Amino acid sequence: MSLLEVKGISKRFGGLKAINDVSFAVKPGEVTFIVGPNGAGKTTLFNLITGVFHPDSGSIHFAGRDISHLTPNEAAQIGIGRTFQIVKPLRNLTVLENVMLGAFLRTSSRAKAEQEATKVLRFLEMEKIMHLPARGMGLPVLKRLEIARALATQPKLILLDEVVAGLPTSEAIKLAMLLKRLPEWGISTIGGIEHVMQVVMRVADRVIVLDHGTLIAEGEPKDVVHRPEVIEAYLGSKYKEIAL
Amino acid sequence: MINWLYIALQAIINGLLTGALYAIIGMGMALIFGVMRIVNFAHGAFLMMGMYATYVVFQATGISPYYQFPLAGALLFLVGYATYMGLLRPIRGQVDFMVILLTMGLALILVDGAQLVFGADYHQINIPLLSKNIHIGPQISINAPWLVAFAIAAVLACALYWVVTQTMFGRAARAIAQNPYAAPLMGINVNRVQAVSFGIGSAAAGIAGSLLLPVFYLFPEVGNQFKLKSFVMVVLGGMGSIQGAAIAGLVLGVVESLTSLYWGNEWALAVDFVLFILVLSLKPSGIFGSQRA
Amino acid sequence: MKNWQALVAAVFLFAALFVPLLVPTDYILQILFRVFLFAALGLAWNLVGGYAGQLSLGHAAYFGVGAYGLALFSKLGISPWISVFFGIVLAVICAAMIGTISFRLRGPYFALCTIAFAEVLRLVAKNLPNVTGGDVGAQVPALFTHSATRSFYWAGVLLTAFAFALTAWIERSRFGYYLMAIREDQDTALSVGVNAARCKLWALLISAAITGFGGALYASMFLFIVPDQVLAMDISTEIAIVAMLGGAGTLLGPLLGSVILESSAEIFKTVFKEAHLLIYGVLIVVVVLFMPEGVVGTLTSKLGRFKKAPLAPFAAPAPVAAQEETSRAALNE
Repeated sequence: MSLLEVKGISKRFGGLKAINDVSFAVKPGEVTFIVGPNGAGKTTLFNLITGVFHPDSGSIHFAGRDISHLTPNEAAQIGIGRTFQIVKPLRNLTVLENVMLGAFLRTSSRAKAEQEATKVLRFLEMEKIMHLPARGMGLPVLKRLEIARALATQPKLILLDEVVAGLPTSEAIKLAMLLKRLPEWGISTIGGIEHVMQVVMRVADRVIVLDHGTLIAEGEPKDVVHRPEVIEAYLGSKYKEIAL
Repeated sequence: MINWLYIALQAIINGLLTGALYAIIGMGMALIFGVMRIVNFAHGAFLMMGMYATYVVFQATGISPYYQFPLAGALLFLVGYATYMGLLRPIRGQVDFMVILLTMGLALILVDGAQLVFGADYHQINIPLLSKNIHIGPQISINAPWLVAFAIAAVLACALYWVVTQTMFGRAARAIAQNPYAAPLMGINVNRVQAVSFGIGSAAAGIAGSLLLPVFYLFPEVGNQFKLKSFVMVVLGGMGSIQGAAIAGLVLGVVESLTSLYWGNEWALAVDFVLFILVLSLKPSGIFGSQRA
Repeated sequence: MKNWQALVAAVFLFAALFVPLLVPTDYILQILFRVFLFAALGLAWNLVGGYAGQLSLGHAAYFGVGAYGLALFSKLGISPWISVFFGIVLAVICAAMIGTISFRLRGPYFALCTIAFAEVLRLVAKNLPNVTGGDVGAQVPALFTHSATRSFYWAGVLLTAFAFALTAWIERSRFGYYLMAIREDQDTALSVGVNAARCKLWALLISAAITGFGGALYASMFLFIVPDQVLAMDISTEIAIVAMLGGAGTLLGPLLGSVILESSAEIFKTVFKEAHLLIYGVLIVVVVLFMPEGVVGTLTSKLGRFKKAPLAPFAAPAPVAAQEETSRAALNE
């Protein structure tokens, strides 16, 4: 039984068809990555799943329920967490308080929220800086903070948008290894990464390739990466021959 | 029965005449809001300053406002430029509210200052043109000063539109309005363009005040009603669009005039706000705003 | 972290209760009443404008509705205090309507919308003389007949104390957290499940209730109200200024702001006479230029304390609509 089922969704903005008849499914406990060149529509896809936009056609089902017309906060409430490509920490709060914001979704008690947030921060190896202000933190910390905040909402599915973009490779791999452990917590993961293929290869169970809003390939990482259509999408048709 | 048609027509014409002046005020505000996202609560005070300046010159020299309005424009350009450079630029990074708050404080200073200098009395001027009326057929008459003001306003509106669309300055201003982060990267001296925009917007208010002098009572708080109307025009016109604000000004003039005719003066201002709320709820990008930022 | 502010305020408010015993003149008590009234109004505004970050410049609507509620319901024969209650209910209903429409807008558009609503109410009150008495005004019953001025003063202090306690409690609660998150970044807040629309509305309803009560008190003190007095934009701006200059989003801000501004206004009136508004304007400009986070905000920054509350500057021009959905520039959902 799939946790997330996307069926034939399309979305256009004015003259641009950003998502074109995309369908795929994510099983519980799976780590799925959506890859594709810039402008392929990955963030739009996330926005559609989390209710920032609504699909023009097609449907999205989460745990059997139709979520095509949800609002973002409803999506979070039913168990879909997300991070943003451009990190948005709450700068005037501490790291802990930032994460507590996520924890507050499941409890109204400040003490419990603090507990839950601390647990998450421990998992992400950030306890030492818990009480420091979020303002002035470097990008690696802020990226983890984004994840921590989403994790604190106890999601069943977490959407990580370009979660290692901008990080030095060593940090990216460290983070990816952490993310690989998320299914242990009962969280399926989807991540949208564009170019750090090393991370994709290590962590993903499945890969979905988008190009100009269309799904052009799907399958296990090591298979997909060699397909001609995928190479063409990234490098252009001249390089199609590399595939074989 | 055709009488009602003529009466309505007269109201519409009056509305268009008033609307032209509104348009100037609105265009000034739209320029400032468009380029800097500043809601200038001193806009009305600037109009008042233009009005008093013209009054003083008139009392001293007898020159008609329709000739000396450029002086008011020049004065308010300097005031606007200085206000931006001296007061607004230092706090640019601050919260929106603080900028609004500062313009409110400035307005207080200017209005109370005017009261100290000129007193709280109502003033008015008398020019020969006031008694001339132009008749179109037996039913419609236009008071000459309004027509002159309309003509001047129309020319100025076109001039402003030309500046914004055809000159380098205008292009720079629009660039900043569209993307304030990228604009300086294109070599645009953002501060100077913003200061000049503020100056031009303020000059527009000043000139409008000048043109209003013959047909309106002059007193320190005269600017208040126009300030609120200019907000309405900016929203109606859409996201700081100058043409939009101009058309909104005309629309406002006509709507007010018709409202006064059928429901009485008291409701004219209320209708402005109701229109405002309707547009904000139903089409926030403005009547003439496209679905783009 | 915030304890020093709560302590200072608590001590101050407690001490304030004893003032009438020391101050003999009604005149000074009236001024002090105004100080506390605007402190309470500022605290109420602070919930929406400070913590939630939504700049309302139309709070006079709730103030005026509370005032007129008292006047008009008692005209129907209802006892004064019950009329006050109904006035508050009416103010809250207005807030529900105004908020539902206005909160869909962001930044300056929201502010302008609140102005528009308040102005419409003012004009309606002016133009329906059969209902409200129009510009001639409406009579208001006295809520206190015994040693009136003292009683109003105490009512003001108590209202401030209530507003203060409520704010302090909200600040520590999940609701308060959510408000601050909405202020800092509404999209982030939404992504963690915060129902932004509902939170903002609740903040406004609470704010309107307190403001309405303040309006009723004010009206009863003067025994007579006209639309241009209680529904004027001047009231809206005064409330907002008191909170902003004191420090929006801080606990002590509105209280301090009211003390400084209201007493300054009185002093200016006596010292500068006709020029008092001008000096007041200068004060505002100076504070904005040199203390943009408000008095309390600036103080806490200087003391090196890390504060969660003072407003973070918005990245200059507001709706720089991000990637795709640019039609949402002025509208948020």
